Amino acid sequence: MLAKPCTVARALSALLILMCVEVSFAQDADQAASDGRALFTANQCWQCHGYEGQGGAAVRIAPTLYPFEAFARLVRHTNLMPAYSPNVLSDEKLRQIYEYVRSVPEPPALEDIPELSGD
Amino acid sequence: MTTKNKSAGVNRRQFLSGATAGVAAAALTNPAAAQQGSSQAGAQLAAVTPPSAAAEAMEYDVPEGYSAEEAREYFVRHPGSDFMVDVIKDLELPFITTNPGSSFRGLHESIVNYGGNSKPELLTCPHEEQAIAMAHGYAKVAGGKPIGVLVHGTVGLQHASMAMYNAWCDRVPMVVLGGNHFDATERRSGVEWSHSAQDAARVVRDFTKWDDAPLSLQHFSESMARAYKIATTPPMGPVVVIIDGHLQEAEMGSQAPTIPGVAPTVPPRGGAAALEEAARWLVEAENPVIVVDLMAHDQDGVERLIELAEALQAPVVNQAGRMNFPNTHYLSQGSGVVAQADVILGLELYDTWGLLNTLRDRVHRDEQRIARPDARVIDIGVKDLFIKSNYQSFQRYHASDLSIAGDAQETLPSLTEEVRQQMSRARRASNSEREQRWRAAHAQTRARDLDAARYGWGASPVSTARLYMELWQLVKDRDWALVSNDSLQSRWARRLWTIDRHYQHIGRAGGAGLGYGAPSAVGAALAHRAHGRLAINVQRDGDLMYVPGILWTAAHHEIPLLSVTHNNRGYHQEFMHLQRMAARRQRGIDGSSRVGNELDHPAIDFAKVAAGMGVWSEGPITDPNDLRPALIRALDVVDQGEPALVDVICQPR
Ligand SMILES: Cc1ncc(C[n+]2csc(CCOP(=O)(O)OP(=O)(O)O)c2C)c(N)n1
Ligand SMILES: [Mg+2]
Repeated sequence: MLAKPCTVARALSALLILMCVEVSFAQDADQAASDGRALFTANQCWQCHGYEGQGGAAVRIAPTLYPFEAFARLVRHTNLMPAYSPNVLSDEKLRQIYEYVRSVPEPPALEDIPELSGD
Repeated sequence: MTTKNKSAGVNRRQFLSGATAGVAAAALTNPAAAQQGSSQAGAQLAAVTPPSAAAEAMEYDVPEGYSAEEAREYFVRHPGSDFMVDVIKDLELPFITTNPGSSFRGLHESIVNYGGNSKPELLTCPHEEQAIAMAHGYAKVAGGKPIGVLVHGTVGLQHASMAMYNAWCDRVPMVVLGGNHFDATERRSGVEWSHSAQDAARVVRDFTKWDDAPLSLQHFSESMARAYKIATTPPMGPVVVIIDGHLQEAEMGSQAPTIPGVAPTVPPRGGAAALEEAARWLVEAENPVIVVDLMAHDQDGVERLIELAEALQAPVVNQAGRMNFPNTHYLSQGSGVVAQADVILGLELYDTWGLLNTLRDRVHRDEQRIARPDARVIDIGVKDLFIKSNYQSFQRYHASDLSIAGDAQETLPSLTEEVRQQMSRARRASNSEREQRWRAAHAQTRARDLDAARYGWGASPVSTARLYMELWQLVKDRDWALVSNDSLQSRWARRLWTIDRHYQHIGRAGGAGLGYGAPSAVGAALAHRAHGRLAINVQRDGDLMYVPGILWTAAHHEIPLLSVTHNNRGYHQEFMHLQRMAARRQRGIDGSSRVGNELDHPAIDFAKVAAGMGVWSEGPITDPNDLRPALIRALDVVDQGEPALVDVICQPR
């Protein structure tokens, strides 16, 4: 049975709304990530974790699989890194940094880097 | 090195000539002048009856057109410093690094003209700190064979001091000569006074093994032999001999010095009973772990450690003060294995306490034990054989369960023999299971390290992993040597390159005094030049800024060396310290960490700096894809026997 035209129109508009929500959500996430990158730089996270969060003096943090709560706990209460209290880094800013760290794409696979897969 | 009698060539003319004769002549006509003469010259004078003027004229080669008296005032035939060159040649010091100074102008001239500037050859350094660090780097890759350093005893040693501290902490031998004018009445006004000291070596005495200030050529000869012997006997270290300007410049006169030669000291070895006990603990242990730091003097040390580790199937943690163990050997393991050990064998450890414990960097520094509480520690090394009080490089005290004094490399064969003898059949049978375990762990670490290198691979600034792996592609099939320490570049060479020869990794600075990296790399490259090896220096920006003049030395003396900067445009280590302080005080770090720490605004153009020193260069490189072609061009230059530098803007670590 064919769907009634009004049903199709309704479904289409619902899809459109959903897509818009998704697009604006993605835009928000992009914005948060780019704000986060600025905060990542300003708060000097890169000093120990590298500009791409790839690690260095401290562990790799990007791309991260941690939920935000675990990430925040490590920043505020860890034994190793200097503890960043909410007085110097609010939850909101920390979340933006988290969004950036999450947005860092996976690097190429080992097989695609001849210098690492050659010997 | 042989005993030679230098008196054979010294005739009566030399016996009585130059300053001694000068003082003698003055004494005949002017008793007051004689009274002003040094007590040293006076003592010699007392034993000498002056010849008649006629006899002297006959014996002295007077150039045409000069009276004998003029000749005596103008010319010296056999200056003391010629003999000093004989002594230095006898010690077989192939090079002397130097920054010139009038307090040793006599020796300088003798090295160049009398000695032909060959073995030793003088190498010009635009800073004494470089001269010392070059000697440091050289000795580390030349199997502990030292070279000499020649500096002003006052201002020169002051400049040299930090670099000597590094060598002291790192147990590296070198023979440092410092010029001085002892006799106040022989000093010209001005600089000869301000460049003289009552006790010139005092400024570096806290971190030298021995020093002396000889008053005669025989004294010099014997002190040089002693200095060499002390410097090269473990624990090795720098020594200083202060050389009097007058002794260098004056006729040898009545002195008929000889060269005693150096009888090398057999290094100390651990005692048999203690080694038997140590072997028993190691054989009986479930989880024996070997930790090694300042041990291997050469490839023999590496081979001996492989034998011991394989006999026990015990993992080796290489703290890499030296290249002690191949990083590709399956028994090469990370420091994490220490936590499980029931018996720990420490070989030439710099810091035993710090291996077992940690003091956390928090407001209240608290101790945490890393090792098992019941782990037993065997400490073999020379650190208790020589120690000084002031500088605290000896680290925190730890009461090891079995402390054995002896050079670890020398002691290893006896320990390994004991271990083999004590291995029961059952214990030997357990080796294959242990081997499997360590092979798996090693393979896992290798896979993890390769995987870690992927992250940031395409990043700009260039990742340190990318830097090392681009380099590796170009050097891995050649006879190469890394003449820098990769600790501040996430240890990528030790994680991903194949390092199985002793000379392929140079270890660390010793006292962590910056300004060591660049000149020690050039010194090491000089030692490698004789073997035709490709020397590679990953050069930090901060370190290079202390002593950039060393680039000129490399160009001037045609020392082939590939330098690639790890240029993070700052004193990165200190950035992190400031950040920790700001976080601890809850003040935030936004922007303020740059103050006092950045090497930026303006950015330093190291390619231009190098070019200005006569070194081929390229950079700054920010795109990782530009790196390989630049390195290939630089290698072409190095293959022609010249230094080259590629400036790469890098990630912090
Ligand atoms: C003579 C000396 N001065 C100061 C220090 C303190 N210090 C330790 S690491 C460091 C930064 C070194 O900068 P660089 O060589 O560029 O290495 P980076 O940490 O940036 O990788 C400084 C200044 C030191 N160790 N030695
Ligand atoms: Mg730096």
